[in-house]
Amino acid sequence: MITIDPEAFGLMVSHAESTFPNECCGVMLGKNTEDGKRVVAAMPVENVYKGAQEDRYEIRPEDLLKADRTARADGLELIGIFHSHPDCDAYFSKTDLENSCPWYSFVVLSIKKGKFDHAASFLPNADQTAAEKEELTWQKS
Amino acid sequence: MAKVLIPTPLRQFAAQKDSVEVGGGTAGEVLNALTAQFPDLKKNLFTDEGKLRSFVNVYVNDEDIRYLKKDATPVAAGDTVSIVPSIAGGL
Repeated sequence: MITIDPEAFGLMVSHAESTFPNECCGVMLGKNTEDGKRVVAAMPVENVYKGAQEDRYEIRPEDLLKADRTARADGLELIGIFHSHPDCDAYFSKTDLENSCPWYSFVVLSIKKGKFDHAASFLPNADQTAAEKEELTWQKS
Repeated sequence: MAKVLIPTPLRQFAAQKDSVEVGGGTAGEVLNALTAQFPDLKKNLFTDEGKLRSFVNVYVNDEDIRYLKKDATPVAAGDTVSIVPSIAGGL
């Protein structure tokens, strides 16, 4: 189970809406607790996919390295990755799966006509062949 | 000794440590020393054929070893080795 605090979720949504109709991406920082993962901060990162970004995103590994350093400095942990699906539902696509990593939660934000519609979280496996849906709760600020 | 930073989800395979000091003069030797000390890390980082998994990048300080000498990239005492995933996706 993953819970996203209001301020972090608000930042994720505003980033996803502001980059519409392109896909956005970012990282989520927080803590692993007895009640599951709790995201307390979100950090948008640049979508560096070279090509049409309406249906693709790519995160620069150096940005993940920086995020991990930030998390460690703040006593937090890198919990997950978020990205948006413009004018599309929040599912874990074949492209998402084939370019995923099993270590993190992947939150997908569905943005329809420029506005947030719904979200879902996924846990891909190590072989990049399947992703289990993870219970996601959030509060809008 | 080099310091290897362990990503959060892999700490369960490394005695809950967020970093580990290991010996080795190259990136390959450091990773071998790390997985010898914590065997459960091996399947998370390497395929059954012994290659780094496709989503695993290794950095020595701020440099990706793919653009240096890969496994043979020198690692000096006090260097920091980071394990960083590749992440992308789309519709």
